[in-house]
Amino acid sequence: MTVQRVKVVRSLFHANDRAAEAIRARCDAAGVVAVNLLAGPGAGKTSLITRTIAALAGTARVGVVEGDIAGSVDTERVLAAGAVDAVQVNTGGGCHLEAGMLARALEELDLGAFDLLMVENVGNLICPTHWDLGEHARVCLVSAAEGDDKPVKYPDVFARSDAIVLNKIDLIDLVDFDRARFYEAVRALNPDAPVFEGSCRTGAGLGGWVDWLRARLASRVAGGEVG
Amino acid sequence: MHELALSAYLLESVEEHAREAGALSVVTINLVVGERSCVEDEALRFCFELLSPGTLAEGAQLVLWRVPMRFWCNTCAAAYTPDSESFRCPRCGTVGGVVDDGTDVLIESLEIET
Ligand SMILES: Nc1nc2c(ncn2[C@@H]2O[C@H](COP(=O)(O)OP(=O)(O)O)[C@@H](O)[C@H]2O)c(=O)[nH]1
Ligand SMILES: [Mg+2]
Ligand SMILES: [Zn+2]
Repeated sequence: MTVQRVKVVRSLFHANDRAAEAIRARCDAAGVVAVNLLAGPGAGKTSLITRTIAALAGTARVGVVEGDIAGSVDTERVLAAGAVDAVQVNTGGGCHLEAGMLARALEELDLGAFDLLMVENVGNLICPTHWDLGEHARVCLVSAAEGDDKPVKYPDVFARSDAIVLNKIDLIDLVDFDRARFYEAVRALNPDAPVFEGSCRTGAGLGGWVDWLRARLASRVAGGEVG
Repeated sequence: MHELALSAYLLESVEEHAREAGALSVVTINLVVGERSCVEDEALRFCFELLSPGTLAEGAQLVLWRVPMRFWCNTCAAAYTPDSESFRCPRCGTVGGVVDDGTDVLIESLEIET
């Protein structure tokens, strides 16, 4: 018997990435734009989804996948807000959604009935970042109340997002949020992603976010956008 | 934080590569682990030992190489690892750009018995 060295160089995320590609292809075929929403617990993920559904009413049909450790309150909230359909994925303690979990959830939804698929990931700024779900856009949501140091403490999610939403702007003067410090770190990690400041409570400032989504939906209908 | 899920993917990949190379068993698995991947050595070993019995990788040794997050400073034309307070370059204090966020986990190589 001999011992032999075999070069591999493969990411442990490889199998997940492949499953994610299959989801992307499915969404492309159905003409659906998929958004993966990442944030800590309580940052306002469900609030942003309900605001988005209302803002797009009459122009885009929204389906939702709600990832959570347990429970289904958020699914009820988005259905009440006018989501065409919604499905709950409980990870049973798992800290993130994986592409395989989303693929199974999509079996319960009719992709043909949506224009936009919003996936609310498990409330966690760390783990979900590593798992591609086959989304067309990854959106990082952070609230002013969490503090201006979030990009320094959780750099990966900011580095790997296509857009960043700074929520709870109505509270910004109450929580000593230093915009300069926040933007310095965000720009070091991600020079290009748009940052939208708004409040899901008052609805203020969400126009830029909704316009950005509309542009993504429009480029899809025009038949170009992939990835 | 998600070592059990990663261990399952690890075993799947290791077995695939080992089988392709005609291995009778896997002796060592060399992993490159990003400092920011949230992978804890002990938890990964524990989960791996839980899942590996009965596979080609049963009893294999896990060797973990830690790699830090890397930034690039344009002013100094040099790479650096930022501290936990800000992303400023330790030499000149300007804010560089991220090159590697240090979150990947790679199987670098295997040592197999044939
Ligand atoms: N003041 C304020 N509260 C908000 C805002 N957005 C959400 N909230 C509140 O924050 C809490 C958590 O919101 P939720 O959408 O459930 O967060 P999730 O856990 O990320 O889904 C709820 O009580 C919301 O009413 C905002 O812009 N301003
Ligand atoms: Mg929620
Ligand atoms: Zn420098």
